[in-house]
Amino acid sequence: MSSHTLRVDWPACTAHGLCAEILPEVVSLDQWGFPIVHEPVTDEVLEMAKAAVKACPTLALRLTQPPKRH
Amino acid sequence: MSVDTIAIPTATTAALATDNHPIVRNEVGLDPMVWQGPALLAGIAQGPGLAVHRGRLGPAPTPSAGELVDLARAVDLRGRGGAGFPSAIKLASANRRKAVVVVNASEGEPASRKDAALMSLAPHVVLDGAAAVAHALGTREVRVVVPSELPSIRAGVAKAVRERVAAGERLKWELHDAAPWFVAGQAQAVLQLLAGKENLPVTAWQPEAVSGHRGRPTLLSNAETFAHLGHLARVGAAGYAAHGTAAEPGTTLVTLRGDGWDPVVREVAFGTPLADVLTAAEMNQPLLLGGYHGTWLKPAQLQGLTVSRMDIAAAGATLGAGVLLPLAAGWCPLLRTEALVDYLAGQSAGRCGPCLNGLPAMAEALGDVVHRGGSILRVEQLCGLVAGRGACAHPDGTARLVTSMLSCFPEEVDLHALGGCRGGGEVFG
Repeated sequence: MSSHTLRVDWPACTAHGLCAEILPEVVSLDQWGFPIVHEPVTDEVLEMAKAAVKACPTLALRLTQPPKRH
Repeated sequence: MSVDTIAIPTATTAALATDNHPIVRNEVGLDPMVWQGPALLAGIAQGPGLAVHRGRLGPAPTPSAGELVDLARAVDLRGRGGAGFPSAIKLASANRRKAVVVVNASEGEPASRKDAALMSLAPHVVLDGAAAVAHALGTREVRVVVPSELPSIRAGVAKAVRERVAAGERLKWELHDAAPWFVAGQAQAVLQLLAGKENLPVTAWQPEAVSGHRGRPTLLSNAETFAHLGHLARVGAAGYAAHGTAAEPGTTLVTLRGDGWDPVVREVAFGTPLADVLTAAEMNQPLLLGGYHGTWLKPAQLQGLTVSRMDIAAAGATLGAGVLLPLAAGWCPLLRTEALVDYLAGQSAGRCGPCLNGLPAMAEALGDVVHRGGSILRVEQLCGLVAGRGACAHPDGTARLVTSMLSCFPEEVDLHALGGCRGGGEVFG
């Protein structure tokens, strides 16, 4: 099971909200429009997660593999 | 820089000085009373100069990287900046070509005075550690980050470095001035400072030991951590374990009442009963342990507690950077927490949306609970919302403080909901 994690570069994020539109299975928005990542990215939604990363206007999203410290 | 080594015990510290500890007044503009300690602070009465330091301890140790990693592992040395990361792992990760050594003495936590005490009274204890690490990692580049709001610390460190250069130490020392805000000492913020950018946190995609200053492996640790590494390299694992317990060898620096009256910095052995560090009256008050990002503990939780990472973890708290803030008698823990959260909300760097928006909202919701009978549900929701959603741990630490207030003082929360206050509504500075 090679699940990925969607990580937000918080200082870069300016709450455009495209990630939640493209990937609602994983991302929702808080009351100020900033993303809440509530699940790991499973293989089923991996392609959409890649699309969300590409769509982010401020390049504030990254897909990372799990065995990462920090 | 003026360090007066005459013992000037005040009423409080005189009462605490039970076993013939000299007390050194540390004139860094903050006036903590610094007690002579068993290891790192053993030589403070002789002054901060290199000659007396060398006369007392001899030359800086020069272990290999492997030896230093083994020593750090043998005594389970943890970083003293607050996160408690194992030093052995950090050293091993940074032990690659073109490493940089960074001594973080910026001490962004406003209630902490221990790094100021160490850098002004025992700078060579820290710099010996940095020199030992630089030698072990095969680098000559050592950066020292000092707090810009305390020019006497910078002057003292600069003087100490000049002494070492004059004595023939072949290291390239460079000083950097940290900005006077809470998050300036965070590792990524320090790396930004070193790169000539604004001293604010950015997202870490890799640990700085792997990819830090300009992508180079960077051994960035708190000033006290370097002091322990130097001491450890000098006395060995067995000598280091002369203090502390079998499970937690060594000592740690603590700041008592760091933002109140009569602040004190002490070096205490792990396993020291908290009752030997706090006064009897303070043992009967709630304690904010770990500083402004810390955890409230009730008086009942303090009984039998020792200065020990494991003990404190079992009580649901962390020692953090060693700040102990007993609640002053007559103060209300809710009003105290509210004031701290207002301060912390104002210390958001304003770069990460959840922190920029969430902390002021949390401060407002907490104000509603404390003054207007508001519900704690909104506060709890915001604590859950901000945690883990920032480039640094500022939102997490603030949420930890608030969460611990809610769990520690339910009676006071109920009392405030009815318009009462055990502190009599007294507002403090």
